Formats: sequence, C-alpha cells, structure tokens
Amino acid sequence: MNPSPAAPGSQASLREANRLRVLDALREQGAMTQVEIAGSTGLSPATVSNMVKELDAAGAVELAPSIRNGRRAVLVSLATGNTLLAGIAFGDRDVRVAIATGPRDIVGRHRMPLPASHNADEGMERASRLLYDLVDKSGKTMSDVKAVGVGIPAPVDSVTGQVGSESILPGWRGIDVGDEMRARLGAPVVIDNTSNLGALGELRCGALQGVSDGAYIKLSYGVGAGLVLGGEIFRGSAGTAGEIGHLTIDENGPICRCGNRGCLETFIGSPALTDALMGSHGRLTLRDIIANALEGDMGCRRVLEDAGRHLGVAVAGLVNLLNPEVVVVGGQLAQVGDIILEPMRRALDRSAIPSATASLDVRLSDLLTGADVVGAVVAAETLHAANDNLLVTIASTS
Amino acid sequence: MTATTSPPPAPTKTAVLSLHGISKRFGAVQALSGVDFDVSSHEVVALVGDNGAGKSTLVKAIAGVYQPDEGTMEFDGKPATVHSPAEAQKLGIATVFQDLALCDNLDVVANLFLGRELYNAGSLDEVTMEKESWRLLRQLSARIPSVRIPVASLSGGQRQTVAIARSLLGDPKVVMLDEPTAALGVAQTAEVLNLVERLRENGHGVILISHNMSDVMAVADRVTVLRLGRNNGTFDVSQTNAQEIIAAITGATTNAVSERASRREQSEEQQ
Repeated sequence: MNPSPAAPGSQASLREANRLRVLDALREQGAMTQVEIAGSTGLSPATVSNMVKELDAAGAVELAPSIRNGRRAVLVSLATGNTLLAGIAFGDRDVRVAIATGPRDIVGRHRMPLPASHNADEGMERASRLLYDLVDKSGKTMSDVKAVGVGIPAPVDSVTGQVGSESILPGWRGIDVGDEMRARLGAPVVIDNTSNLGALGELRCGALQGVSDGAYIKLSYGVGAGLVLGGEIFRGSAGTAGEIGHLTIDENGPICRCGNRGCLETFIGSPALTDALMGSHGRLTLRDIIANALEGDMGCRRVLEDAGRHLGVAVAGLVNLLNPEVVVVGGQLAQVGDIILEPMRRALDRSAIPSATASLDVRLSDLLTGADVVGAVVAAETLHAANDNLLVTIASTS
Repeated sequence: MTATTSPPPAPTKTAVLSLHGISKRFGAVQALSGVDFDVSSHEVVALVGDNGAGKSTLVKAIAGVYQPDEGTMEFDGKPATVHSPAEAQKLGIATVFQDLALCDNLDVVANLFLGRELYNAGSLDEVTMEKESWRLLRQLSARIPSVRIPVASLSGGQRQTVAIARSLLGDPKVVMLDEPTAALGVAQTAEVLNLVERLRENGHGVILISHNMSDVMAVADRVTVLRLGRNNGTFDVSQTNAQEIIAAITGATTNAVSERASRREQSEEQQ
C-alpha cells in the first residue's frame, strides 16, 4: 500500500485508515453489501457509503446490483478487472489458497488443515474446491482465472514435472501434479517447490527485494531452501537445488525419510522437535511448540534454540558456497523470531568463513507463512505474461 | 520409559474429562458397555465409529441428556455426575449438536444469548451483548459479516461458527462437536477445521465426532474408536494412518481391544 502522506491523527489519516479497513474487510470476507461492510468494520453506514463512492471512483472496487433480505442492494467487491491469478501452496499439514490480481493485491485467501500423510488426490481435490469457492465468493468465474501457481513441499523434477523424490512426500509419489491440476482447474498451471516459491515471493514483495544473491530458508514441518542467484531463482539442472533439509550434518546420525543418515531434517524437522519434548511435555504439535516457546516455556525454547544452532551450521555451508547478501528465514518456525535466529547467527559466525559472514544479513521473512502463496501468485503472473506474449506473437505472425 | 517400538498412546497430560466403564442399556439394546474415554485440555480427541456404534449415546451421556447405568465420570480430577444438560454446561462441558439448534429468524446476538440474555436496569443490555458477541467471534477469527442479520441468511459454515461461539459463552473446559462438517461445502469445512485448531490452541479440550476420516486425521490428536458399544482402540494420530482406524471402525481388526487389555495387565503388574 502507498504510505499515507497525511499527518498522524489528522482527519485525512483517519480517512485513509478507514479506507484500508474497508479494503481489508473485502479481502477477508469477499464481496459484501455496504450494510455488511458497516457491520464488519464497525464504521457507520454513512462513512462506508462515502468510502465506497471514493474507492469506486478510484477504481479500487467494483459494484454490482444484488438482493439482500428481499431488498435491492449494491454488492461491493475488490476490483479485479478480468484477470485473476491464483496461488496454491501445499504444506505438510495444510493447504493455502489465494486469488489475486497481482502479487501485492491478494483478493481472497483460504487455509485448510490436511492429514499428515494425505494422498495427492485428496490434497488436490480439496485445494481445487477451495479455489472454486474463493473465485465464486469474489463474484467471478473460473474462466477469469488466467494462471495458477502450485507449490508442493517436495522437489519437483523440472524435466518431467513430477514429484521428484520417492520418499519425501509419499502420498504424492510419481504424480504429475501440473497435469492433474490443469485438468481440475481448466487453467494453465505452473508447479514448483514451495521453498522456491517462498524465495520468489520474498524476492518480489518481501525481505529479498532488490537482492541479487540470497537464500530463503523455509522452516516448517520440514526444511527447505530457495536460492536466488543474480536476481533469479536458481533451480539446478533438474529442479532439486536448495534441498538444504537433506544436507548431512552427522554421518552417524538417525536415518532420514529420504533414506540417508543424519540429514539436517532429522535434527530440526517437526518430528525431531516433538520427539525431543515427548518425555517432558508429552505429545505436542509444531504449533504447540511455537506457542509455548513464545509464552516462555524453557523446554520448548531450548529445543528451538538447538534447532537454530543446527540450522546455522548447515546454512554456514551454503554461505561458504554461495556468499549471499541476505538469508531470509520463513515458514511456521519463523514466528518465534530471535529464539531461533540468535543461535543461528552465532553458529553461522562460528562455522562460516569470516569474509562471507561479514557482509551477510540474516533476516526474518516479511511474509512469514504467506511467502509461498505469494510466490505461487508471482509464478502464475509470470506464466500468464508469457502466455499473453505468446498469443500476441501468434496473432502478429498469422 | 521402556524401549518399545510403539509407545502406548496414553495421555501424559492429566485428563480434564475422563469416563470409566460407561454402560447404557435401552430395553433390549446394550448401547454402551464398559466404555472408557478421556480428553485433556489443549487436545482434540475424535470419536469415530460405524452407525449404531454408540457415539451419540456416549455424547449424550457426557452432555447430561442420558444418565449412564454404570460407570464413573471425572471432571477436572474430581468425580462428577450430570443429571441434565444445564448441569453439564455449568460444570464446563459445552455441546454443539448436529442440528445446531439455532433460531433462523433471530439475529446472531439474540441466538448467542438465547435464554441467558443480559439485562441492564430491567431492559435488554444490547450494547454489552453485541460487544461480547464480537469478542467471541473474533476469538474464533470468524468470518461473519454482521451480528445483526438473521441467522437464516448465513452460510452453513457461518451458522456452525455461531453455534460454536454460543457454546463458548460460559467459558467451558470441554467443547463437544457432533458432526460439525457434515453437509458443509469444502470452504466451510476448512473454516470449521481452522476453528477446531483455534479452540485447541485456546486451551479447550475438544471432542470431535465425525465420519470424515480426512477431517479427523487433519485436526485430531487422538482417535477413539467405538464398535458395537465397546471401545475398539484409541489411536495416536501421529503414529497411525486412516487405514488402521477404518479397520478398527469396521471390525476388521479387534486386536486393539486385546492390546489395550494386555497393556493394562502389564501396567497393573508393574504397580
């Protein structure tokens, strides 16, 4: 959003704040009538009426006739033109869906919890139905959706388009997610790893903006990294670059789900964290650990600090190899902030070569858990732009 | 801890509500026989079973609609008996029944405070009630456009939200949801599942009755399976899969019961 030029506390800044409130309410709840906007924002109907008139004049909202409780009413929705982009990000335990007119202009979003080892069909079915519902609620149809970016938390083979690993996401093994989603949604689909999409999201509108060489580390149930080299996402020859979660930390460590031994993920992945707390705290989920740590529970903090330390050692290897300017930490665990970042910085200072860490900036994600969805929208936008250009070239040559 | 490959799914937290050996007979039908069940705070326990397995009877026994013939109930570590739904509510057990029991013609505020309206000098204290309604709905991050519209104009998920918000009015320790996602669209289901997670994070013990295995596996910590009125196993969701639970529901496996029994014998031997 544009920074408000008005002085704080002035009438103009109040008006600006109210305008944002109306837009936020529309983004959160979809199309509404003016009365409903008044109810949900707590603004008076007269104020809402003025706001809507202004926003309409500025082209920020669209008005459509509708009926509520048998009376005529005007349905207000965020202006989308006729181009809608969608982003879908699968996590290990949930799926998040967003529709947008651009990476910075999310029109609506939804999240749904998923079972731990769900199969691909179930995940894709629920995601596509959530998307249909979101599009419907914003007063559009699926034909307005021009491109969809889909992220899955596993390496994606950039040659075959299939889920690249046999064992990282067992329910999704060998499935061509792109093809499946294209059939379900009837729109062009681009598919990528969620860590890469997280990096893409941060690069376009988050903590990696303007950075030419950097990395995005996704800390959730698993660990992944998206690499930015020369201002572009680096995917490697087959799309599996940045699998930092499966760097070997301890040659004699526990067996990882990827089949190797002592991977970073066996130390800081969600199962490792919950197992470490099993004896003292009982069964906790990742979200419990985060909430407890923020409330000051020493055991949970300790486990996260240790995770930060291990992460620092692994990222030190990455820093030595690539010498990035910025390392951004995102994903669910980023919510605990310095609890994990401080030990990570210390371990980095100890393990990486000083000249590489001297210029290094370790930051928290700007978009927190939303980076991958935003990245999916960015990917969708790029795909749409490419398709558009293609159409123009075809039209001009024929 | 002994080094067993699969640790028993015994709750390490102290249960806020626990039932032991609950039996209930309706004439010739033995609806429940010797059922054990417990739920802790910060925990979601799913109660699953085939039709006629005794889920609803157990729910109603907890909610105070039926009195069990046998068995004991402990709430917050103290023995408790509930003779009516009102008593259960006073104790701190809130139930959202499948039909939601909302009045379509009343607005959200009136529904939330139905039967326990707040008064100010003899007249309804609408301002406080409306503020409290918004507080409850915000606590659930609910997507309700207005609290002054009739419930009839809300979607299925929003109605479920209102019913759940109403159950939270007395600040209960245990919230029981009977088939909250049946007959809901996928977006509304997502809303309800997010809500269940939020209830859990706010420290409530949640009992979730559902037929939908993926909903159960998505949000529950433990799953208790009933079959023909008996316990047929309690599963830790992080240690099991949907197939195993479905096998227990249909009766393809009954070893869960014998496993439990042998575990109990073992623990008694140890004591």
